[in-house]
Amino acid sequence: MALKALDIYKLLPKKNCKECGDPTCLTFAMKLAGGKADVDLCPYLDDAAKAMLGASTRPPIRLIRIGFGERFIKVGEENVLYRHEKTFYHPPGIVFKVDDTMPLEDIAAVTRRVRDETLTRVGSDLRFNGIAIENTSGSPERFGEAVAAVEKQEAHLPPILIANDPAALSAALVHCGTYRPLLHAATKENCKEMCALAKQHGAPLVIRSDTVDGLVQLVKDSAALGVQDLVLDPAPASLGDFLRRTTEIRQLAITRSVPELGFPVYFDTAKTGLQDAALALGITKYASVIITRPLMPGSAKAALTLRQNIYTDPQKPIQMTPGLYRVGNPDKNAPVLMTVNFSLTFFTLQGYLESSQVPCFMLIVDTEGLSVLTAVAAGKLSEMLVRDSIKKFALEDEVTHRKLIIPGYASPLSGRIEDATSWKVMVGPRDAAEIGDYLHNEWKKEQGATSPPE
Amino acid sequence: MAYDLSFGWTGTIGEVTLGATKTDGGTRSISYRIGGGSTLPFLEESPVSPSPLIAYEICDKPVFWSPIVKDYCGDLVNNLSEWAKTATTTYKADLVRLHLTSTKTRDFSDIASVAKTVETVLSATPLPLIIEGSNEPKIDSEVFLKCGEAGQGERLCLGTAEAGRYRSVAAAALAYNHSIIAQSPIDINLAKQLNILLREIGVPRDQIIIDPYTGALGYGFEYSYSAMERIRFSALKGDSDLAMPMICSAADTLTIKEVREADPAIIDDVAVAWEFSTGVAAAVAGAEIICVRHPKTIGLLRDAFTNMKKRSSAKEVQ
Ligand code: B12
Ligand code: SF4
Repeated sequence: MALKALDIYKLLPKKNCKECGDPTCLTFAMKLAGGKADVDLCPYLDDAAKAMLGASTRPPIRLIRIGFGERFIKVGEENVLYRHEKTFYHPPGIVFKVDDTMPLEDIAAVTRRVRDETLTRVGSDLRFNGIAIENTSGSPERFGEAVAAVEKQEAHLPPILIANDPAALSAALVHCGTYRPLLHAATKENCKEMCALAKQHGAPLVIRSDTVDGLVQLVKDSAALGVQDLVLDPAPASLGDFLRRTTEIRQLAITRSVPELGFPVYFDTAKTGLQDAALALGITKYASVIITRPLMPGSAKAALTLRQNIYTDPQKPIQMTPGLYRVGNPDKNAPVLMTVNFSLTFFTLQGYLESSQVPCFMLIVDTEGLSVLTAVAAGKLSEMLVRDSIKKFALEDEVTHRKLIIPGYASPLSGRIEDATSWKVMVGPRDAAEIGDYLHNEWKKEQGATSPPE
Repeated sequence: MAYDLSFGWTGTIGEVTLGATKTDGGTRSISYRIGGGSTLPFLEESPVSPSPLIAYEICDKPVFWSPIVKDYCGDLVNNLSEWAKTATTTYKADLVRLHLTSTKTRDFSDIASVAKTVETVLSATPLPLIIEGSNEPKIDSEVFLKCGEAGQGERLCLGTAEAGRYRSVAAAALAYNHSIIAQSPIDINLAKQLNILLREIGVPRDQIIIDPYTGALGYGFEYSYSAMERIRFSALKGDSDLAMPMICSAADTLTIKEVREADPAIIDDVAVAWEFSTGVAAAVAGAEIICVRHPKTIGLLRDAFTNMKKRSSAKEVQ
């Protein structure tokens, strides 16, 4: 049963000491009520209150932290089955996998790739998240060497250590035991030894079973052995298995029907033989740790973009603060280009403006994050908005001319904008890719026509 | 132990038939029945529930087509009949979707050519067809009637009906017993409204396929993904105005910056990766026809869907 914020508040120490990260006990109580915080964050709760609150306020899926330092990842703490019901909070870590049988130099190269590769889209840096090292050699020494080769790159990436043999894991943990590596995997057979290792190193642990019952049992066994930071590997033999089991786990966890399943899910796509499909499936359907072989450039970008899309809050598009932005060092004669405050639109246009090498101003008006066409269709882009924005952002102090370039898709508004602002409106191309040509030709022509002879 | 997933569904997706074989009065080698689902995509217990269909898109005037496809297919794109044949035998699509891009030329008036084009494709491929007619209200009526007539008895699927222009498509579909694609811009309420409009003028439910509009990956796909999930969800909860199968065409994908400006050495791989990821995600969200333009995407999607239907374990959840 979910408790109300006020009921929870009554059980808190009311010190308002902020140690939980919230300004007051009451705000912490509100978070607990929404399943957005863990009772353990308050150090002053007595055990009775903890027991009472724990089961009903803990987020239905536990937050698990993997790795250490700047590149660590947090997964779990999700509340819904469909992103439109609220949003998905913690994007899955996509982790590149190497075998310990590979030449150490190749292992190092993959590590450096994950360390360095960044795709910048819509103002965010999209990256892969870690390195998984699998003990395919069967030799603990070799496994240790491979893990050492990864750590030598000083990439500070969350490591995932994959081995059935606790001895191999021990050998590897010597090299990264304090970095909170994720250990894979505890099974019915080796649960005790794996839990001991996880406990000793404070590392999160993957438990693996191909049935829900098996997972539930392993969760209970691990808890009894003192390991709470768990990740579930449903051991799918096909994409169909994955889809079914991951849906079951998520559904049973968020409805709290089977609270033992309230942990993030692990998915090794390299094992499916259909890696790109598995990636798309894992991203859309509840995987939190996704293992993959190093991806080809095309697949890499598609996967990162899909993840960004699916984990965008459906209630608010990624937006820019409206205002006047500069590209290069524009002077008082520089062109002014008007556009909307949808981030995707802004960054697309900005990219082309930068490559055109023409210093200019971008006047970003507040369409509440809608794209040009969408804003025009929804009536969010109007001549009044443009007029007010010119005033508000003091554009008339920045340039001496009175010419505004508007997006091609906003052409139906051109007359009305001219009337409302008394600026001359120039309708630019529809596709931002053509903006360079436009500035070099049309804008230059326009300037030549009106600027006084020297 | 059995766990109760208890989604509480009460509805079923309606069925739509595409293509007519000889027994049904047509000339197609196969006919598909899509829809019929009663839970989330790919979770159906019934072993016969079909995989999503893969439609290959071709057009009769390739100036309006992506240069990536034109470079990959070469001269083929200038020979509609061969292109349709290749889509069938070499690319192994389930369906062919013909776009009458010729009707986009300024002041297009050669209505007679429409029938000829449709007939050409009908005789080049035995697969069921989706025909995308014009996009211009002034000629819609004539174009759609010609398409409908040329494909009489073949149980075509005609596109595209939109809120502002659905009468011509609907009239042609009703007159010649074809189904239609009903497209709305990424909004569950608009999708429902259009279906109601169509029903009011007499289009039966089993002749409607919903196109919730697919924004390209990175350019609005998240909205489309959620619109599809919500439509499927509402249908399963019993809203019969949304209980139709869905179609996804990721056509915008080939024109986005990341794909169009990819390194020429790998541009095909990039295009395929983006079309493919979109197709898999859309199928998971509930689309039952996935349309693609790059031939290499077809086989990859088919393998993925086959594997997504595969289940190895004993059933343990009711
Ligand atoms: C994603 C999307 C949505 C999302 C919103 C996304 C957002 N944040 O804006 C949602 C689902 C909410 C949505 C809603 C609607 N949408 Co909508 N949507 C789209 C979709 C698929 C992609 C839009 C997009 O992100 N484009 C990418 C950005 C980067 O494009 P852009 O802003 O136009 O920028 C480009 C150019 O304009 C140019 N440019 C930009 N700035 C400037 C400046 C200058 C000076 C120059 C020269 C160039 C330039 O450069 C950019 C790159 O080339 C389009 C279809 C499409 N393929 O475009 C439909 C589309 C825009 N939507 C449409 C409609 C009708 C609507 C709705 C009115 C319908 C509804 N569902 O109720 C609503 C309105 C919104 C509301 N009331 O809240 C129609 C518009 C029809 C028309 N021609 O007017 C479209 C075209 C779909 C269609 N085919 O019917 N939509
Ligand atoms: S840590 Fe505990 S006592 Fe301190 S403010 Fe938070 S809830 Fe209150």
